[in-house]
Amino acid sequence: MSSGPLTRIGSWAARWLSQLGALARFSFGGARAAALLPRAGRAVVFRVTLNQIRFTAVHAMGLVVLLSGILSFLVISQAVRELGQIGATGLIGTLMVIAIVRELGPLITALAIVGRSGTAIAAELATNAVMGEARALEGMGIDPRQYLVLPRFIGAVASVFSLLVLFDVVAITAGFAAARLNGMTGTRYAEIVLQSLSAHDVWLTVGKALAFGLILGIVPSYFGLSVRRAATEVPIAVSRATVSSIVGVFLCSALFVLLG
Amino acid sequence: MTAPLAFEDLPLAGRSRAPFSLALADHQTVAVLGDEESGVDRLGGYALGLESPPGGRVRVFETSIADLPLPERLAFRRRVGYLPAGDGLLQNLSLRDNIALPLRFGSDASTREIDGRVAVMVVAVRLESAADRRPAQANEEECRRAALARAVAFDPMLLVLEQPFDGLTARASAELLEVARGGETADGARRTILITGQELPTVVQRRCDRVYRLTRAGTLELETV
Repeated sequence: MSSGPLTRIGSWAARWLSQLGALARFSFGGARAAALLPRAGRAVVFRVTLNQIRFTAVHAMGLVVLLSGILSFLVISQAVRELGQIGATGLIGTLMVIAIVRELGPLITALAIVGRSGTAIAAELATNAVMGEARALEGMGIDPRQYLVLPRFIGAVASVFSLLVLFDVVAITAGFAAARLNGMTGTRYAEIVLQSLSAHDVWLTVGKALAFGLILGIVPSYFGLSVRRAATEVPIAVSRATVSSIVGVFLCSALFVLLG
Repeated sequence: MTAPLAFEDLPLAGRSRAPFSLALADHQTVAVLGDEESGVDRLGGYALGLESPPGGRVRVFETSIADLPLPERLAFRRRVGYLPAGDGLLQNLSLRDNIALPLRFGSDASTREIDGRVAVMVVAVRLESAADRRPAQANEEECRRAALARAVAFDPMLLVLEQPFDGLTARASAELLEVARGGETADGARRTILITGQELPTVVQRRCDRVYRLTRAGTLELETV
């Protein structure tokens, strides 16, 4: 048997596609399980979802404000100085909207959530699996995806969306402060930023929140629940979940650019 | 009469050893004991269809659970009470919420009806003072009581208990077994019960209709108490 580079690439691609297929099956199975939830089960899922949002969104607000504020302040300060020398301060609006609101904002928010909550979700579900809790749920006739995955998925989508909006608001406000400190009037800053913002950006934020939320809710859950009985599998699952989520977020971001 | 639970020719301890076969009759309490290498710890998973045996078959109420499609499999398991080894209680829920969980996800009952049923079960397993604690805050006996209450939440006619009395006193074990039996009928216990584990307290063995020891060779020997 040949084990040349083509064979290796082929087997890597096959593994990757197989994993993607398993993730898709996991997601569709979860969606089907969600549709079968009884009323009392929905109340439990709602409660767990609120808890997930508290952990993923509310507790991460400080971090997102800090990252967004510093990033926007630095970029706009530098831009006002440099672009001011060539009389192109009008491009600051484009820079703010395209670079920060459209691209960096969602990416940095998603990375912050992967680091804080993606790892936590993967570790928690992997522990559930190792402790036999996921198996006990199945033994009782409960689909683990109903109780363990669904609230985390809904929580992730809602959290990514809320944090993206927060990131954008803070970025625009910090940019305003940076522009003022570097000699630009507030009216001029508001005018050029508002000119560059469009309804397309709002839809893009919604689309990215959904796509990133899907990745950040499903991928860590999938890797967490793939653990069997050994505690040594937990860090491996967390590591795989983190890397796969980051790769997923970047690929998805590239896809959004390609689709225009 | 058909057996509520029947294992047929399972290669439990490897194909080189004798296959395992056992049928439980209605209202019987049967214990199968054996060391870890005997494969006795796999019986519960095979019975519930959580794992598929490499050979032979397992029938629960004449149905092979593992062969059913997922939604039917999950629904069918609600007809069987299951207490897994190590309790399997969810650590982020109170004992009371753990007991309520199968009812919340597996029935169309209202929250009020479920709360009422759970309150009755909490009293039945004598868990009133600890019901609002989480598993990590409760002792082993309280966790086991909660796990048993959860297993009988749907009032199943068949119970599978894995190592249910490990680490408990003989008195607590006997008390829990009575809860599991669910009362008495002219033919024996109200429920059919399979207990698996390594050892059982003598007082519990006396309440079983049959106690088997699964040897490493794969043979099933009837124990005398």
